[in-house]
Amino acid sequence: MKKFKAALLKLPRAIGRGFKELAEMFIKGDLRTRLSYLIMGFGSLTHGQILKGLLYLGFQILYFFFFFGFGWQYLKDFGTLGTATQIKVWNESLQIYQRMPGDNSMLILLYSVLTLATLVPLIVFWRLNIKSSYKAQKQIEEGIKPNSFIKDLRTMLDERFHITMLSIPMLALTCFTILPIIFMVLIAFTNFDQTHQPPGNLFTWVGMTNVTDIFLGNTTKRNTFFGILGWTMVWAVFATFTNYILGIILAMMINKKGIRFKKMWRTIFVITIAVPQFVSLMLMSKLLTDTGIVNVLLQKMGWISEPLPFLTDPTWARAVVIIINMWVGIPYTMLMASGILMNIPQDLYESASIDGAGPVRSFTAITMPYMLFVTAPYLITTFVGNINNFNVIYLLTAGNPLTLDYYQAGQTDLLITWLYKLTVNQQDYSLASTIGIFIFIIVATVSLIVYNRTGSVKKEDQFQ
Amino acid sequence: MSKEKNLIGIRARRIASNTTIYIILSVMAIIWLLPIAWLIISSLRLEPGAYTTYIMPKGYTLNNYTRLFTETDLFPFPRWYGNTLLVAVLSCIVTTFLTLMVAYTYSRLRFKARTKLMNMSLVLGMFPGFMSMIAIYHFLKAIGLTQSLAALVIVYSGGAALNYYVAKGFFDTIPRSLDEAAMLDGATRNGVFWKIILPTSRPIVIYTAITAFIAPWVDFIFASVIMKDNYQNYTVAVGLYKMIERENIFNYYTRFCAGAVLVAIPITILFISIQKYYVEGVTGGAVKG
Amino acid sequence: MKKMLAIVLTIALLLGMAPAFADGETITLKVWGSQEDQELLGILIDAFKAENADKTWDISLGVVGEPDAKTRYLEDPAAAADVFAFANDQLIDLVNADALYEVTRNLDAIVAANSAGSVESASLDGVLYGYPMAADNGYFLYYDKSVFTEEDVQTLDGLLAKANEAGKKVFMDVSNGWYIASFFMGAGCSLTLDENGNQLCDFNSEAGLAAGEAIRAFTADPAFLTGDDSVLTGGMGDTIAAGVSGTWNAEAIQKKLGENYAAVKLPTFTANGEQIQMASFIGTKVIGVNTQTQFPVEAMMLAEYLTNEASQAKRFEMRQIGPTNLNVAASDAVKANIALAALSAQGSFGVSQKLVLGTYWTPAEAFGTAMENKSTDDMQTMLDAMVAQIVGE
Repeated sequence: MKKFKAALLKLPRAIGRGFKELAEMFIKGDLRTRLSYLIMGFGSLTHGQILKGLLYLGFQILYFFFFFGFGWQYLKDFGTLGTATQIKVWNESLQIYQRMPGDNSMLILLYSVLTLATLVPLIVFWRLNIKSSYKAQKQIEEGIKPNSFIKDLRTMLDERFHITMLSIPMLALTCFTILPIIFMVLIAFTNFDQTHQPPGNLFTWVGMTNVTDIFLGNTTKRNTFFGILGWTMVWAVFATFTNYILGIILAMMINKKGIRFKKMWRTIFVITIAVPQFVSLMLMSKLLTDTGIVNVLLQKMGWISEPLPFLTDPTWARAVVIIINMWVGIPYTMLMASGILMNIPQDLYESASIDGAGPVRSFTAITMPYMLFVTAPYLITTFVGNINNFNVIYLLTAGNPLTLDYYQAGQTDLLITWLYKLTVNQQDYSLASTIGIFIFIIVATVSLIVYNRTGSVKKEDQFQ
Repeated sequence: MSKEKNLIGIRARRIASNTTIYIILSVMAIIWLLPIAWLIISSLRLEPGAYTTYIMPKGYTLNNYTRLFTETDLFPFPRWYGNTLLVAVLSCIVTTFLTLMVAYTYSRLRFKARTKLMNMSLVLGMFPGFMSMIAIYHFLKAIGLTQSLAALVIVYSGGAALNYYVAKGFFDTIPRSLDEAAMLDGATRNGVFWKIILPTSRPIVIYTAITAFIAPWVDFIFASVIMKDNYQNYTVAVGLYKMIERENIFNYYTRFCAGAVLVAIPITILFISIQKYYVEGVTGGAVKG
Repeated sequence: MKKMLAIVLTIALLLGMAPAFADGETITLKVWGSQEDQELLGILIDAFKAENADKTWDISLGVVGEPDAKTRYLEDPAAAADVFAFANDQLIDLVNADALYEVTRNLDAIVAANSAGSVESASLDGVLYGYPMAADNGYFLYYDKSVFTEEDVQTLDGLLAKANEAGKKVFMDVSNGWYIASFFMGAGCSLTLDENGNQLCDFNSEAGLAAGEAIRAFTADPAFLTGDDSVLTGGMGDTIAAGVSGTWNAEAIQKKLGENYAAVKLPTFTANGEQIQMASFIGTKVIGVNTQTQFPVEAMMLAEYLTNEASQAKRFEMRQIGPTNLNVAASDAVKANIALAALSAQGSFGVSQKLVLGTYWTPAEAFGTAMENKSTDDMQTMLDAMVAQIVGE
């Protein structure tokens, strides 16, 4: 918590420093540097760094084209998200009601976010351009020749290699993760739902209404949220730890001295990873219906007279998804654990067995603590993955059995599948976004707490 | 005498415990293989339909497989297979490079924003991805890329910057003295990456590549959001899913199973042949997170 | 920018220079139809192009089934098809989103050629929003003639009694709002809209209570069986002797039953000691023209062509789909189709699905699931909870 506060305080200070620096450079800078504040690359061009200057200038020109040619027409409506709806005009000659396109709230919001985001590189490059001009000015004053473009480029492969390496991944991350997330967060503060669909209708800002609707307004929605949240947590804990422990035990059995055909055993379990989940899970859900092959088999053998409600009874269904999830997940844990288990020093086991420890005791006293220590990050990632485990639940039960106690949700729905249904079936985007934000808050809190208490993460820098 | 007895006791215990393990492993193997076996049996079933009141098929045929390749008017399976292969290969190459670049940067280079970026990546990875699909679709549309295979490659590789953990963990275990020695010899950081780190990291390169290669074969949600109605550009996963929609399931269920087997075969072979690297890669990474 | 464009366009229109398409311009259209319709649509489109050879056409086909049309459309209206088929229960949502062009060209001819019910099903407040294409979005009873007599299939009690005797099952997907409504609407309940377009539902009335208890009795019967379509098509003739479904399963069921194949209107059920005829949703499939299209007039021409008499006859010939066109419906071939005859017999107890909003389906399915799980909760409480969710509070 302290860390966060410190980080929050740092930000305004850093911005303050940035402004101070800019002001200083303006005062101390010569005319060429000062003109760089308006025309990017001016300083570089006049200081003899032609190529660099042209790049800056080109960037500025391109940006202006982008901003006024594309961004502004959306950004200007950002406050209202559009006012003109699509209208009809009777066209006598064609005998139709011709449509006159209006505003599209979604595109306004989306492209406004995009345009606002491009301000960040603009400011960064603008600052760089001024700094570089100031630096060149200083160097000339001191009688040093400013870096040539080639020399600058060369630093990108060495001292500033991290910039080269990270630029493309970070650009992709910004476009395909960060901007969409910002868009999604903003949607939560609008009334974008089935009755406010562009292009026929507009949606607009509604403030915190969606949040208050879940927690204060609608009892069914509140019950649904907390009911599903509870089950999501139960599911995540069970799904993570059953797979984890049983996977390790499976790996230990295969690795045990004297067990033959190790490779064959491993391969058998690996095959199940290779079948796409949507196939294997769909198959499972068919096998387990009231008329599915499992029930038919059990009935034919005379063990049961009525079909077992594997996927239709709430309690059964919840148990079944956890068990099926073991089928899906244990092979992964087995693969991961196989390698690590071989690293556990054998003398630990030997001395334990001399002390009279049985296999159970040495498992709980040696294997588990060792595994927990080295695989803590893996465990956290898996836990987070299970909170958001869309595939297993959606493909197996689709959240069913449904219940009247919940709003558009069933007894095995996780928050993530509920969110999916709200978007796809109900087009209730704003409610779904609100839930999405809460999922994030929960997941982030849980994992940050665990993460910061894990020894192996704290020392990540010193370990090498 | 007593010592000998003890030895016999130990051996007997070992045999007993091994036998128990063999039994458990066999039972588990059967449980794990049964659904797969059921998939293969269904793919060979002569009678159509997703559901039968009996267990073993009344007749067997290979037609379900051949028809996937001959009756391509409604379901161009070969084309989908090719699409997926192409996307898988391309996104595998791009993703592997991006992931390793990011992992190397975080593992070896020290710069001001390093920990901040790592923490940010950790946090970003926790957002549920579904909501962002709409936005991603429209961004791709803005640059004119929707419904194309290129868009799929971009989307599958776009998250590479978040999935560096395992690879970074692996790089962390490579002794730093190696790079230091190379840098003393005048190598740049760029040179270290290509000449020192990559060659010593075969397991993790392979691990990253397999994971990236498999994703397009099994994902159908992202692919269907991006492809929408562009039938010719579907991947197998989306296409197969179409086969089991309400109106098609009766006639296409057995062919769906056949298609699923055809998808599983290359992935299985891939997994088995490089299991060793996979285990080393994921282990190295998990140990050090 | 856009407003300017709108003004310019409006002026252009007022000046009467609107037929903007020059000769020789390629007219690019996209059509959405279901997977099974692709072959048929291909043939019809080729015929359409041949008949209108004065223009250059570039018509492509996309696979989007009628049930998914609305969802797919709303994902990205601009990328959606210019001409698309949809089930008429999506009409209100599509009109609310201003997705559909009104049918204004050749209106009188289209109204005259199609059955009054189908035209009504595609209209809202007296405005026709689509071209009626097929009248088969409904359900009825399939049965095995070797198990039931014509007498047995008249009542649900008769069906269940005979099925129990024969050790067979009666199939109905009760955990599905579409089917389960037949009990409630048969008992006299209704799903309508108030003047603000909000859903009204009285399934928790006294009549609804009786219907609910009838559903409970049905699901409690040993001969009752539920599941999805694949269970019905897979089990018919073996373990299942009768099942409620629609024409899309006719081919599969006919294959399974052979000469014992039969279909009839839905049976009556017992509520408060009386026999009540089960109602059903009836829907039509309609072709709509996207308001975002570049070529509205040509798109309308194509939509009209795809639903005209010849096309509907071809559609019946290739796919046994029930026509809305009066002449095709009156043909001998259509009349001889067993499934369509049953559907049309059920038609007199049908309720239009047009006034059902999206909020209905999930709560109704939840109620059906509770029934299938043999819930013993108080019926009135459950119905109240269901209705509360359906009407949105």
